[in-house]
Amino acid sequence: MNGRERIFAVIQNKELDCLPLMPITMMFAADRIGAKYGDYASDCRILAEAQIRTAEEYDFDYVSAISDPAREAADLGANIHYFDDQPPAINEANALLADKTRLAGLKPIDPSQGRRMSDRVQGVALLKERAGSDKLIEGWVEGPCAQGADLRGINRLMMDFMDDPNFVRDLFAFAIDLELKFARAQIEAGADLIGVGDAAASLVGPALYKEFVFPEEKRLVDGIHEMGGMVRLHICGKTKKHYEGMGKLGCETVDLDWMNPMDAAREVMGPDQALCGNIDPVEVVKNGTPEKVWNGLAECHRQTGPKYIVGAGCEIPRESPLENVRAITEYARSNQPVAMP
Amino acid sequence: MSEWNSLYDAILTGDDKTATAVTEEALEKGAEPLELVNQYMVPAMDEVGKRFEEEEYFIPEMLLSARAMERSLALIQPRLAASGAKPIGRVAIGTVKGDQHDIGKNLVRSMLQGGGFEVYDLGMDVPHEKFIEAIQEKDVNIVCLSTLLTTTMPSMKTIIDNIQQAGLRDRVKVMVGGAPITPEFADQIGADCYGDSAYSAVKLARNLISA
Ligand code: B12
Repeated sequence: MNGRERIFAVIQNKELDCLPLMPITMMFAADRIGAKYGDYASDCRILAEAQIRTAEEYDFDYVSAISDPAREAADLGANIHYFDDQPPAINEANALLADKTRLAGLKPIDPSQGRRMSDRVQGVALLKERAGSDKLIEGWVEGPCAQGADLRGINRLMMDFMDDPNFVRDLFAFAIDLELKFARAQIEAGADLIGVGDAAASLVGPALYKEFVFPEEKRLVDGIHEMGGMVRLHICGKTKKHYEGMGKLGCETVDLDWMNPMDAAREVMGPDQALCGNIDPVEVVKNGTPEKVWNGLAECHRQTGPKYIVGAGCEIPRESPLENVRAITEYARSNQPVAMP
Repeated sequence: MSEWNSLYDAILTGDDKTATAVTEEALEKGAEPLELVNQYMVPAMDEVGKRFEEEEYFIPEMLLSARAMERSLALIQPRLAASGAKPIGRVAIGTVKGDQHDIGKNLVRSMLQGGGFEVYDLGMDVPHEKFIEAIQEKDVNIVCLSTLLTTTMPSMKTIIDNIQQAGLRDRVKVMVGGAPITPEFADQIGADCYGDSAYSAVKLARNLISA
C-alpha cells in the first residue's frame, strides 16, 4: 500500500496494512532541505521540494501546500510582514478591515490573479505532478473565524461578535466565498483533500461557535465536497467544547490539538469519524524522547480505536530531534489499526 | 456596597456603554474614585476570571469585560491623580520580539490597570531595547514579558540579561507569562516571578512591589 492508498482506505473503511501517517510539517520541512522559511512560503518550488523530500525521508503518507495563514489577506492588499526565516505575519494594528466599512468594497479575488494564492495553487500542481501517484495531495484554506481574524484583527473580531453581529456574519460570508474559490483552484490543480485551518475558533465559546462559526464552516465543507474534494479540519487549541459541531461538519478527518481528549472526541463524533492526533508537539515531539513519542501515540491510538490517523496536535516544531520524528513514523508503520467493531 | 452595583454588572457583562455612564454618574454624585475601583470594578473582573476558569466565559467575553473596565477606568484615573493618589507601581509590558500573539498580554495589561498600576504597553513583537528604554525613561518598577511561541522563549532570557548588563537589574522586577512558560523556566532565566493568568498577575505584581 502506498501513502495515498492508505489515507483513502482509512477514510473509506477499507483494510489497512498499518496506521496512516499525517503529521503537519512546515518549518521542519524547510529546515530539512536547508531552505529559509521566507523562501518556503513565497516560492512553491521550494515548498514542494521540501515537502516531498521530508515525506520520502520519513515515509509520511501525504504532502501539503500549507505554509501560513496570510496568503489570502496578502492578495487582498493587507499589510504583511515578511521575514527571512519565519512565517509571514499579518500586521494586526493596520489590519485590512481595521475600518469595518471597507468590507463593503472588498471583492473575493480570483486565486489565479493573486500573487501568494497563485503560488499555493501552483504548489499543489507541482506536488501532484511529482508525488501524486503515491502521496495524498493536501491543499489548504482558512476557516471563517481564522480568515475573519486575519482580515479584521483578532482582538477586534472577538469583540465584534457582541458589538456588531451583522458585521461578523458579512465578514465570515465574504471569507468563505473567497475560500471556496481558493479551494476550487487547488482541487482543479490536483488536491485530493483540503485542510481547513480555523485556529481562532478555539477562542470562542460554544454559543458563538454554533451561531456564527459552524454555519460558515459547514458551507465551506459542503462546497469542497461538491467540488469532489475531501476535508481535513484543523482547529488549534482547546476544542472539546466544540466537538459536537466539529463532528457534524462531515469532514473526512478531524485533527485534535494535544490538550483535547481523543476518547471524548470518539464518543461525541461517533465511530465513522476519522481522527488525527494528538501528542504534544512541544513537550513530547520537540522536548521528549522516542520512547515518550511512542507511548504518547499508543495512548492516542488506544483512546481513538478504529479510524485513527497518526499525528501530533499541531505542526511538528522545527528543531524537533530527528529520532523523535522517526519514532512517529515507526509507530505508524509497526502498528495495525484497531479493527472496526 | 450596593449603591453602584450596576457598575459591577456592566463590567461583568462587558457592557462598556453602561459601565462608563454609571461611572460618570457616580463621579458626579461624589462617589469616591478609589471605592468605585475597589468595590465594583475589581470584584467584577474577579468574577470574570472565575467564569473563564469554569468555561462559562471565553476570550470574547473576557475582552469585552476588560474593555468596559478600561474605559471606566479612563474616567476615574484623572480624579485619582488629582486627589494625589499615586499608582501602586509602574509597569512596562510587551510580547517579545518575533512573537505576534497579544491577546493574553492585553488582558494582563487591563487587569494591572484595574489593579491600580500605571501601565506602559509596548505592544507585540517588541525589540529587546524597548524594555531597557522603558526602565530608563519611564522609571518602571516591573517589566512584564509575554510569549506564546516556544521559539521566542529564549528572548526572555536575553532581555533579562540585557537589563542586567545595563546595570538596571536592581531597579526592576521581571514577571513572565504566556502559555508555554513554566515556573521552572522563569527560575532558570532569572525572572522574579511567573504568572499563569491575567488574574494572578495583579496579586503577583503587588507582592513584587512590596517585596
Ligand atoms: C490566536 C493565535 C494566533 C494569532 C495571534 C493574533 C494575536 N493578535 O494574538 C495568529 C494567527 C497571528 C497566530 C500566528 C502564529 N501562531 Co498562533 N495561535 C493562536 C491561538 C489560536 C490562540 C492564542 C491566544 O490568544 N490564547 C488566549 C490567551 C488569552 O491566552 P495566553 O496568551 O496564554 O494568555 C493567558 C496566560 O498565558 C497569561 N499570560 C500571557 N502572557 C502573560 C504575561 C505575564 C507577565 C503574565 C503574568 C501572564 C501572562 O494570561 C493570559 C490570560 O489569562 C493559539 C492556539 C490556542 N488556541 O491556544 C495558537 C498558537 C499560540 N500559535 C502557534 C503558532 C506555532 C503560530 C505560528 C508560528 C503559526 C504559523 N506557522 O504561521 C504563527 C506565529 C506568528 C508570530 N510571529 O507570532 C502555536 C504555538 C506553539 C508553540 N508553543 O510554539 C499555538 C499554541 C498553536 C499550536 N497548537 O501549535 N497565532
